[in-house]
Amino acid sequence: MPFDPSTGSGLRTGPFLAEWYDLRDLGNAVGAFLDWIRDQGAPDWVPYVVSGLIGVVAILLWVILSQLAFIWIERRVIGRMQARIGPNRVGPQGLLQPIADTIKLFLKEAITSRKADRALFWVGPVLIFLPALAVLAVIPFGRGMFLTDLNVGVLFVIAVASVNTVAVFVAGWASNNKFALLGAMRTVAMLISYELIQVLALLGVVVFAGSMRMGAVVDWQSDFNVWVLFLQPLAFISFIIASAVEIGRSPMDISEAESEIVAGYHTEYSGIKFGFFYAAEYIAAFAVCGIIVTLYLGGWTAWGLEQWVPGWLLFLGKLYLTFFLFIWTRGTLPRLRIDQLMAFAWKFLLPLALLNVVVTGAEVLIWREADLSAGVALPIFGVVNAGLAVALILGWATFMGHLRPERRAKRAVLTQELGAIYYTPPTGTDEAVRTGEA
Amino acid sequence: MEDTGTIVAFWLLAALTVGSALGVAAVRDLIRAVVLLITSFLGVAGLYITLSADFVAVAQVLIYAGAISVLILFAIMLTPLASRDNAETFLQVPGLLLAGLVAFTMGFVSLKTDWSVVERGGFEETAAEIGEALLSKYVLPFELASVLLLVAMLGSILLVRPEGSSAEE
Amino acid sequence: MAMKTEPFVVNVGPQHPSTHGVFRMRLTLDGERITDVDMVVGYLHRSMEKLAEERTFTQNIPFTDRTDYVAAMTGNLAYVLAVEKLCGIEPPERAQWLRVIMSELQRFASHTIAVGIFANDCGAWHTPMMHMLREREKILDLFEMACGARLTTNYMRIGGVSRDIPPEFMPAAHALIAELPKRMGEYEGLLLENEIILTRSRGVGVLPADLAIASSVSGPILRGSGVAWDIRKADPYAAYDKVEFDICVGTNGDVYDRFLVRVAEMRQSIHILEQALDMIPAGPVAVQMPLAPRPPAGEAYSRIESPRGELGFYVVSDGGPAPYRFHIRSPSYINLTAFSDMVVGMTVADAVVILGSVDIVLGEVDR
Repeated sequence: MPFDPSTGSGLRTGPFLAEWYDLRDLGNAVGAFLDWIRDQGAPDWVPYVVSGLIGVVAILLWVILSQLAFIWIERRVIGRMQARIGPNRVGPQGLLQPIADTIKLFLKEAITSRKADRALFWVGPVLIFLPALAVLAVIPFGRGMFLTDLNVGVLFVIAVASVNTVAVFVAGWASNNKFALLGAMRTVAMLISYELIQVLALLGVVVFAGSMRMGAVVDWQSDFNVWVLFLQPLAFISFIIASAVEIGRSPMDISEAESEIVAGYHTEYSGIKFGFFYAAEYIAAFAVCGIIVTLYLGGWTAWGLEQWVPGWLLFLGKLYLTFFLFIWTRGTLPRLRIDQLMAFAWKFLLPLALLNVVVTGAEVLIWREADLSAGVALPIFGVVNAGLAVALILGWATFMGHLRPERRAKRAVLTQELGAIYYTPPTGTDEAVRTGEA
Repeated sequence: MEDTGTIVAFWLLAALTVGSALGVAAVRDLIRAVVLLITSFLGVAGLYITLSADFVAVAQVLIYAGAISVLILFAIMLTPLASRDNAETFLQVPGLLLAGLVAFTMGFVSLKTDWSVVERGGFEETAAEIGEALLSKYVLPFELASVLLLVAMLGSILLVRPEGSSAEE
Repeated sequence: MAMKTEPFVVNVGPQHPSTHGVFRMRLTLDGERITDVDMVVGYLHRSMEKLAEERTFTQNIPFTDRTDYVAAMTGNLAYVLAVEKLCGIEPPERAQWLRVIMSELQRFASHTIAVGIFANDCGAWHTPMMHMLREREKILDLFEMACGARLTTNYMRIGGVSRDIPPEFMPAAHALIAELPKRMGEYEGLLLENEIILTRSRGVGVLPADLAIASSVSGPILRGSGVAWDIRKADPYAAYDKVEFDICVGTNGDVYDRFLVRVAEMRQSIHILEQALDMIPAGPVAVQMPLAPRPPAGEAYSRIESPRGELGFYVVSDGGPAPYRFHIRSPSYINLTAFSDMVVGMTVADAVVILGSVDIVLGEVDR
């Protein structure tokens, strides 16, 4: 039956050499090492534990190195976007800047205010690491290169990300600071709203792939030689926006909105505790980019290129490009107000995501029932979904009044009459906002 | 439950769950009690996994540790007159008595019952089957639950409407 | 069902990343809406008005640099116009045109900061501001050519300007004017059409025209509320009656319209500069004045259109070398009186954006 992915292009059983020096699958080297351990006569559980340890250490090392590199990259890139150079004093071209930052954070005095709850004050920063690292455990970095391939991988990602809300709230509460609590409550409301949209966006992917396993989604994409991005543009956009909100990056960095409530839920944190928040933000960003790459951009496959270039290199390249997208929006876009952000989630993104799920379900049903072949069905679905995305976004925006003339740009009136008055009160909803009704 | 990994995991998770639950009752500060409650939820999720209920475990983390804990925290925070500590009350001795009675009854029943042990055949995927069951055999409870949730959402929106505002979209 | 909530007071400032200086406001919030605002100023009070009574009229010119430190040239100009009224002298032609050129360059430079900081308050992480500061740097280079200082210029003198512009000034100024319209197009495209800036600023901080006139606000705020009032047209000084330009007016009185007015004024400044650089005659640049002029006893009030509004100086002389009374009518201080009307009913995030649109400089608020 054409829908059955096991009759795909057969890339899954391609000519991998399976020797320890075959860099395209680092699991071969690890496997050879484990065989050597077994030959030395170790009991059965030793290779199991050692492989787990190697996985954990590798992921942690990669995350720390990437983070150090990206602190520098982000600041230089944003500097370039702002017509200035960026850090260039510490070390050649400023390359030692992340090290300097880390040393500074370690050496700073970690002040804990007297009325703050000591034990809970520590729980916040520690708990915020948990989601990011746990998500990294299920991402396939390459063929067979993941820490664990859960059967419910996709749902696991969302579930663990929801622990973020607790961490943020505890951090805000434990600071015993009005501003921090205000920031924490705003952040929690934001995170909960956008979690829903993340789940709905991911539903589209799962419906197509037929499984919640991350590896299954990547295999589906490589079997049908298509990236889910082309089949689910609306879901992709919703997921990127929702993820940017979840990890708290601009244009949704309301939790750290400097110009409003100083630093939100981590106002009172200094020294290495703040360093934890800072690091956790980057690690969460990597995790989220990893999810986007795996589920929407084909993971470690690239239409057959992974036979020559190691899959994990492709994966890392795509991940860094997605991260660059986040850096780009941070340098360019201003920040939304919290109520506008929530209105955007509930009134705009949620209906669109629901419609997307319905349409996707209908498409997969048609594909299965009408017994179409993949080569015919998928391009049709891609075109239909892309058109639907454009139509829905424009149509819904018009329906919600985002494109009304009162909300559009205009120019100042140029006049020579001195003393003339051109004032007209702002219309409808604007006035309602001013007097607090809307 | 034959292999050592599962047995070790079971005992660790059980200790975590029961220990945090005891902590919830014993700790002075209310917010710390809630954090311990969250730990207990996570322990229960782990126990679900040892029973090969993968979907339920992840749903437990998502709903309990992620959402219900935040609900409890908000409820504590928004009740201004609630004292933030597990204070002494005069009901301590009756409470302990009652708890002891319940514990004894449950322990007695669980030891005396003849549990029929099922031979588990490995780890199966449960998500697909739960989904099918929800939409075929258990569709009525499913729909009732959705209506209940919808009513709750509408109720909360109605509760926070500013007074005297006109009906909006 | 009524839920009882308690209003709570949030103190913003004086140290805050976005209050444009040491400004403190205590907001009374009901949830996220502001019900009352209490402004506390005076953290930068340097008693300039009293200190000026001990110095000669010419020695007071550097004080005027430091009141509105973002727009020093216009500050100098307002003061020397008042003293010239007292002395009854008229500066030469070339000096009048130089004053116009310097004022318009200063207006452009000050508006780059106002617009850039506004975008920053909306959350755009300094990117628009950094781009606009590029143009400001070039203007400050021109100032350095003319008088040796970039920020506290001390250029105007009683009876003219302190010195003539060097020969390299004109080519540099012409080159700058040639490239500015293209840059303005870039900024307008980047900022005016941006969806997020539109959402953050339309309908926010509305000040109706009658309330604006009643509160004596002036400058881009008044023009943003739709009142076409510009001192350069109403009470022309220097050579403004000889150049042709339009008054830029908004229609809704919200933050977005004030922002539009400032951007349009930047374009008008370019237009005025093009005319002035061509029409400037040769000649002397100052009337010969003694080192410590003693104007006859009397009082004079002069006003100009500074980038922030109507900047006025009220100078009273008693015949001696030092002024008897030296009072600055600072636009930022008077505009702040309308701030509570603009902010009540808005949210905390809007309060910061509205403060940015009022464009205060604490130097002139507190003097």
